[in-house]
Amino acid sequence: MNEKRTFEELEKELQDVVQRLERGDVAVDDAIALFRRGEELYRACVERLRAADLRIEELKPPA
Amino acid sequence: MAKIEPVLYGDRKVYTVSAFNRGVARFLGGLPTVWVEGEIQELRRNAAWANVFLTLKDPKTGATLKVTIARTAYDRLQLGLAEGETVHASGRAELYELKGELGLRALTLERVGVGGHLVALERLKRELAAEGLFALERKRPLPRVPRAVGILTGADAAARGDLVTTMGRRFPATKAVVYETRIQGRGAPEAIVSGLRTLAAHPEVDVVVLTRGGGSFEDLLPFSAELVVRAVAACTVPVVSAVGHEQDSPLCDLAADARAATPTAAAALVVPDEQELRVSLEAGRQRLAVSIRTLLERDRASLERQGERLRAAPRLLFERRRAALDHSGARLQALAPLATLARGYAIVRAGGEAVRTAEAVSSGDRLEIELATGALGARVEEVRS
Repeated sequence: MNEKRTFEELEKELQDVVQRLERGDVAVDDAIALFRRGEELYRACVERLRAADLRIEELKPPA
Repeated sequence: MAKIEPVLYGDRKVYTVSAFNRGVARFLGGLPTVWVEGEIQELRRNAAWANVFLTLKDPKTGATLKVTIARTAYDRLQLGLAEGETVHASGRAELYELKGELGLRALTLERVGVGGHLVALERLKRELAAEGLFALERKRPLPRVPRAVGILTGADAAARGDLVTTMGRRFPATKAVVYETRIQGRGAPEAIVSGLRTLAAHPEVDVVVLTRGGGSFEDLLPFSAELVVRAVAACTVPVVSAVGHEQDSPLCDLAADARAATPTAAAALVVPDEQELRVSLEAGRQRLAVSIRTLLERDRASLERQGERLRAAPRLLFERRRAALDHSGARLQALAPLATLARGYAIVRAGGEAVRTAEAVSSGDRLEIELATGALGARVEEVRS
């Protein structure tokens, strides 16, 4: 998923998808599409968490 | 430069007052720049004047000194000085030639003494509070998962180290953008403001932490400077203030969106705990799986009911057919002996019973013989067994 969106936005959409599915008022085909989207969002979120070490960038005041 | 020349009265050299003053003024001008401490006895500032006039007093002896400073320089300092406060004035001795008055031409002034600073801070705090700079409504929520965290700090390895280490432990999937600058002493407020702006302008920085370890009251003063406090309030991304120790409360704390007692606490505010985040994500995925299963289950149940009806349909049809067949079969069975008779067999009955053995009848018994077509009445002539 080539998402430029922030982690929070992805996580929010995942929550929305879960809530819609939990309400249950969706047709089966839509439910399956929603489920797939949810899985995709879940993976995108987990992907964002994958980092070994904190990156550090140094800025200096102008000399 | 006008020459300072005496008028000769015989062998006596005599100077005019102006020449004398000018001469002394020149001599004083050769003295080095010094710091002078005194209590402000009088302070006169007028927007129409080029200079601000102060009288400093030595509280021990009562000796006084006139001090002047350019109004623009004075205003830039934003000290908000008041009479009774103790200051350090940096400058050179100067003679006001017209009056022959000795004074100090100051280039800069600094407030000294915790008491005076506290009074001034209190005053500034009231002013800024009245402007609404510290209002709770102004506080912005911190991002839960920042792309990058801006860190403004001095050459203070401890504060920076604590912050970066804790961030790395809690949530390594982010970035620390560190801006090291002068955070105490002369020029610190300007340097801090410039750092804040640079960090806020960084494309990934979603929150800035302003941090330094403990220090003396004076060391922490830049974090209460009016321009710093205003810059914190006006910063385009939320600011967390983690300056000094718990008991220090620089004014930037009040203008910041959140305050942390230590750099470690600041790290906990600006980045989430990765483990908690993963647990919450897993829970979301779990709910996703459960809800789709429930939905599909419900759908399957409904499908099964349909299937049930579908399967039930042919059975009913079959039953009906079988009933029809049974009926036909019965009729068929009833018709079966006739076919046999047609082939030339006959049914012999005596007294209504079919005769199967010769011994079942006696000579003279009446018999009924049923043929394929029609029947015969007969009598037994002889029994052969």
